[in-house]
Amino acid sequence: MKENTDSKLSVRTTSNLRKDILPLISGRVAEAISGALIYGLEPLEEIRLRAGKPLVLQNWSREWFIGSDGLPSPKPAGSFIVTQEDIRTTLELMSENSVYAYQDEIRNGFITIRGGHRVGITGKVVLDGGSVRNIRDVSGLNIRISNQVLGCSSKVLKYLFRSSNDIYNTLIISPPQCGKTTILRDIARNVSNGVPELGFRGIKVAIVDERSEIAASVRGVPQNDVGLRTDVLDGCPKSIGMKMMIRSMSPKVIITDEIGNDGDREAVHSVLNAGVRIITTAHGYNISELKSRREVLMLMEDKVFERYIVLDDSEGPGTLSEVVDGTDMKVIWRADRSVS
Amino acid sequence: MFLKIAGSMIVLLASSFLGYILARDCSRRPQQLRSLQNLLQMFENHITYLSDVLVEAFDRISRSGVETGIFFRTAAELLKDGTAANASEAWEMAVRNCIGLTALNKEDEQILLSFGKMLGSTDLEGQIKNIRLTLGQLAVQEEKAEENRKKNESMYKSLGILGGMALVIILI
Repeated sequence: MKENTDSKLSVRTTSNLRKDILPLISGRVAEAISGALIYGLEPLEEIRLRAGKPLVLQNWSREWFIGSDGLPSPKPAGSFIVTQEDIRTTLELMSENSVYAYQDEIRNGFITIRGGHRVGITGKVVLDGGSVRNIRDVSGLNIRISNQVLGCSSKVLKYLFRSSNDIYNTLIISPPQCGKTTILRDIARNVSNGVPELGFRGIKVAIVDERSEIAASVRGVPQNDVGLRTDVLDGCPKSIGMKMMIRSMSPKVIITDEIGNDGDREAVHSVLNAGVRIITTAHGYNISELKSRREVLMLMEDKVFERYIVLDDSEGPGTLSEVVDGTDMKVIWRADRSVS
Repeated sequence: MFLKIAGSMIVLLASSFLGYILARDCSRRPQQLRSLQNLLQMFENHITYLSDVLVEAFDRISRSGVETGIFFRTAAELLKDGTAANASEAWEMAVRNCIGLTALNKEDEQILLSFGKMLGSTDLEGQIKNIRLTLGQLAVQEEKAEENRKKNESMYKSLGILGGMALVIILI
């Protein structure tokens, strides 16, 4: 639990490493991890298994290896080594002994497990006429622990609300690993449930979750709390999904992650033409850097977004850096860096 | 005299019964091999069209109520309660424990065991190939069992009765 400083958004982290993840890791490795966890490594961000290489636990401060004495150590020498057999067993456990049922996900390079954690997969790729058919002989797993941070968007929310039941079209800009998706998820939850303290009533939210990151659905069911008026379309390409959602679920706002591919601009316009708001994100360090990306630049020139929210990690992931009004590009709020 | 007649009747009955049971076993085996093929076919459909996970698919299959469903039911239970670490282990345990309750022989057991080796650990195509291979082998076994049945069924029955008679004659 981190302190809620002026511009820091982390409030309450919920993750269930022991319940969700450890039972799905090969017994030998799981024991080593749970043994090392006693020494206060949590919250972990990543667990990396690579065949024939040391087991790596990554938390907010640094990466840790597990020494031969079972203690976490910062040095890789003589630490716990993961075998390919461990990785194979882990993958079987994660896919509920049904690798075939998770094939579509494995093809995309990751699977989502219960609790919303994502597991990246590397190995030997089997091709089928230019597209990936399968990954076999898996040699590396990266378990990215999804720390749902409830309340992390509370700093941002007041800049989003237009009235008691309407919001601004918003683009969240953030470098990787800075809590973009975490904040987007929390915004979805708040917009959907309503925020009585700010006089906002909940509205219907549709999430197009192309990479299963926002809601982290497992077999269609969202594992993260994304709000009670929220519908989730899992694994659907954004440009198609946004149009489908408008037609099928009559949302007030569409939330989607990482805009900027071909076809996204047209889809965003069809959302706006239907009178539906949009909240989305883009990779980037600041607004001017985004202008080098054609599809995003065109959306900016179209004056699609009324709010830009820029995040960085100067004070940990999810630090609010600035809020800009998209219509006249005036800065509404900016972090005072002289203090920190 | 009465004791003698009663005794011979008992011997005769017992031996015919024995013959009858052996004959029935002959027809049980091809029957079970057939039902096993049906179940595997169902398994293939479940994972192809419903993309069920293994435990779900096994549960549904075992609900069909045929004797050979016991392999699937046991394997699913072993997986659910965590006794078996993975699917192939669960299947192996299930086959070894339950084969005695069926009429299947050593050869059939080997086929079932080799089916389990790849269970759940490959992509869909691999699973289907594995199922098809096993289906083919089971069909061959069924044919052989059927031939055996034709040969042996009547033989066991008559052997039972005749053997009983012979025993009675010798003893009297």
